[in-house]
Amino acid sequence: MTIALHQLRRRGADRVYPVLSAFLALLAWELLARAFAHTYLIAGPVEISRYLWDHAGLVARAAGITTLAAALGFVLGNLIAIALAVGAVLLPSLARLISALALVVFCLPLVATGPILRVIWGPGLGPQITLAALAVYYTTFLPLMVGLRAAPPSWFDLVRSYGRGRLSALVEVRAMASLPYLFAGLQIAAPAAFLGAMFGEFTGAERGMGVLTIRAMRSLDVAGTWALASTAAAISMLAYGGLGRLSRALNTGPPPLILAPLLDGGRRAGWRALVHPLVVTLVLIAIWWLSMEGAGLSPFFAKRPGDVWAFLITAPEAAAHRATLGAALLETLVLALPGYLLGLALGLGLAIVLVLAPKLARGIMPVAVALRAIPIVITAPLIVVALGRGATGTVTIVALMIFFPSLVACYQGLARTPRQVLDLFDSYAASPLRRMASAQFPAMLPAFFAAARMAVPAAILAATTAEWLATGRGIGGLMALTASTSGYGMLWSAVVVLAAVAVTGYVIVAQIERAVLRIYGAEQLTR
Amino acid sequence: MQADAPPSIQCHDLSRSFGEGAARLDALEPVNLQFAAGETTAIVGPSGCGKSTLLRLIAGLDTPSTGSVRIGGETPLQMRKRAALSVAFQDAALLPWRTVRGNIALARKLARLPPDPAGVDRLIALVGLAGFQDRRPADLSGGMRQRTAIARCLISDPRVLLLDEPFGAVDELTRARLNHELPALWQGRGVTTLLVTHSVSEAVMLSDRVIVLSPRPARVVADIAIDLARPRAPGDAADALIAKVTSALAQSAPTRPHFV
Repeated sequence: MTIALHQLRRRGADRVYPVLSAFLALLAWELLARAFAHTYLIAGPVEISRYLWDHAGLVARAAGITTLAAALGFVLGNLIAIALAVGAVLLPSLARLISALALVVFCLPLVATGPILRVIWGPGLGPQITLAALAVYYTTFLPLMVGLRAAPPSWFDLVRSYGRGRLSALVEVRAMASLPYLFAGLQIAAPAAFLGAMFGEFTGAERGMGVLTIRAMRSLDVAGTWALASTAAAISMLAYGGLGRLSRALNTGPPPLILAPLLDGGRRAGWRALVHPLVVTLVLIAIWWLSMEGAGLSPFFAKRPGDVWAFLITAPEAAAHRATLGAALLETLVLALPGYLLGLALGLGLAIVLVLAPKLARGIMPVAVALRAIPIVITAPLIVVALGRGATGTVTIVALMIFFPSLVACYQGLARTPRQVLDLFDSYAASPLRRMASAQFPAMLPAFFAAARMAVPAAILAATTAEWLATGRGIGGLMALTASTSGYGMLWSAVVVLAAVAVTGYVIVAQIERAVLRIYGAEQLTR
Repeated sequence: MQADAPPSIQCHDLSRSFGEGAARLDALEPVNLQFAAGETTAIVGPSGCGKSTLLRLIAGLDTPSTGSVRIGGETPLQMRKRAALSVAFQDAALLPWRTVRGNIALARKLARLPPDPAGVDRLIALVGLAGFQDRRPADLSGGMRQRTAIARCLISDPRVLLLDEPFGAVDELTRARLNHELPALWQGRGVTTLLVTHSVSEAVMLSDRVIVLSPRPARVVADIAIDLARPRAPGDAADALIAKVTSALAQSAPTRPHFV
């Protein structure tokens, strides 16, 4: 009886902590807004409510159209992700190629693909839906690939022992075993779809949250910017929470900690190491060329691989093009890199603090998980309004974009330390710091690096978004300029270069990860 | 169903090694073995000696480096394709989202046999799980999971039964009880059975013949006939055979310096 009472009280406390911390956050927000009221930087909850009350119809219509585009893109992108993952599992010889292609497409800068999609699709929902699909497919593909391979070997032996093959294994074993992973991916995908849809609207849509946001931000309408951001964040978090609820209702098991698998074997030496990237590049160029030719798109705006090659390498003005692009890229990377490192460090640091102070974590983690669901296009305008259009704003946006996923990944990684290892440390009455340094920190490294790899394209996305929306500098600004002046040669070149930079950064982090995990987590490499 | 007689099993020059060059690991040295039709043969040996590798090669779940396996003249794959072979795994390998009934019925589905709900329920009762048919593996004890796995093996009415330490993960008392109750379900029904175990008493109590393997790479070091009447009970005759197998096992291991 006492135990039941205790449990009841405990469960009550678990429910109270997030509510309490959410309330405190709202209060702090309102007080902060009041304190800075004269600077027109922050709108508090009260002001936001007033704005939404006055503009209810407008915001509701915009939210409806954006949600529709996001939902359609969500369904489309996830269907593609599931098809790709199932294809990779059924055809293991193609798995590496499929994974690599999926990563490269994920690294495409939404900022530049948006305007290109707009000229290809024309007016309407086309670009919004396509960008939403592009924004979600990788966040589903990756965990699904892990989930489809997550079952123990004996389950597959069972299927084979009756002479059945890959298809039976997929239907009887993999499909069900991957459900928790699929739902973990879908949950993250829901806010990402909203992000994609809003990006699509930035590129010249007639209606939607993205259109209103740009308008509010350009006219320095602080209350409007914050009200729209809050609405978009609320929809994103509702979708995130709703999918979490659905997953629990379907009893798919607890959401697993998903470590993005390392892409390459890394065991091949010499010329063999170059074959895979070469094949991936050739396949990409072929897909690019075939899709442009197949759709019969005008070479004026739908550039082919040869056009980009000419623009950057063989044309008479190629050197000037390269210089412009290079200078802009450098300007972006100078801000993206510190933001990236800052975001990772802050996420890691807070995760360690929260594990050392578990009471604090009970209040903060649910809020952090929820905040992770707020897409960058929503926060970027707020920070621009608050911190101005200088370097600080851009670095902050990049850091913030990376901070929340890193915090959640590192926190879950720290919690993954095996119970027996912790018991061993406790049996020597080791201090929490010693336990952290010698047991929990090494156990967390795989999760940290998985987050660090995924953060590379995210950092570039955040930096270019900030430049494109606000500062007008760097490669993001260059893309905004060329998009508005129909400089499609430069726009396509920027897409190619940025994707290449993101993939290169990803591979560099993966190499560091390999070297570190060889010492601290050998078992992670063999998976 | 399989009305035919149980097949004999021939392993010809069967070996398995992993890796290449300096990293090469010989799990099984070439062995030649025959298992008589309808007999139960136990394969014992120290941990990691390659017993399970041998069983997996016979089941066709692994590909031999050299040699071949024939079961009644057929390849393991042919046997598996017509569902004439069942494997019981060390960890029971039950699917957690299926109930006891669902897990057993799955074998008929995989074996492309028509559903047989009555047969499933009869087997559930026979393995002592009546009342638990709608429970999921998470609700079952280790012993109950292994009972479910054995029922799943038998529902397809196989001619060859390959048991890979089926009771290795349960405690000693439960193991003794499972050994007492379950083998009667397939013994005397014309099933050629191979049992991999590291328990000498289990091997002697269950089988017609015990094969002792050396530490890796595995060689056959003893082949002992167990001519005890069934049903078997502990006694002097059994103890003598247990001592014989144990001593063969002890002699098979080269003496090594001890650091403990």
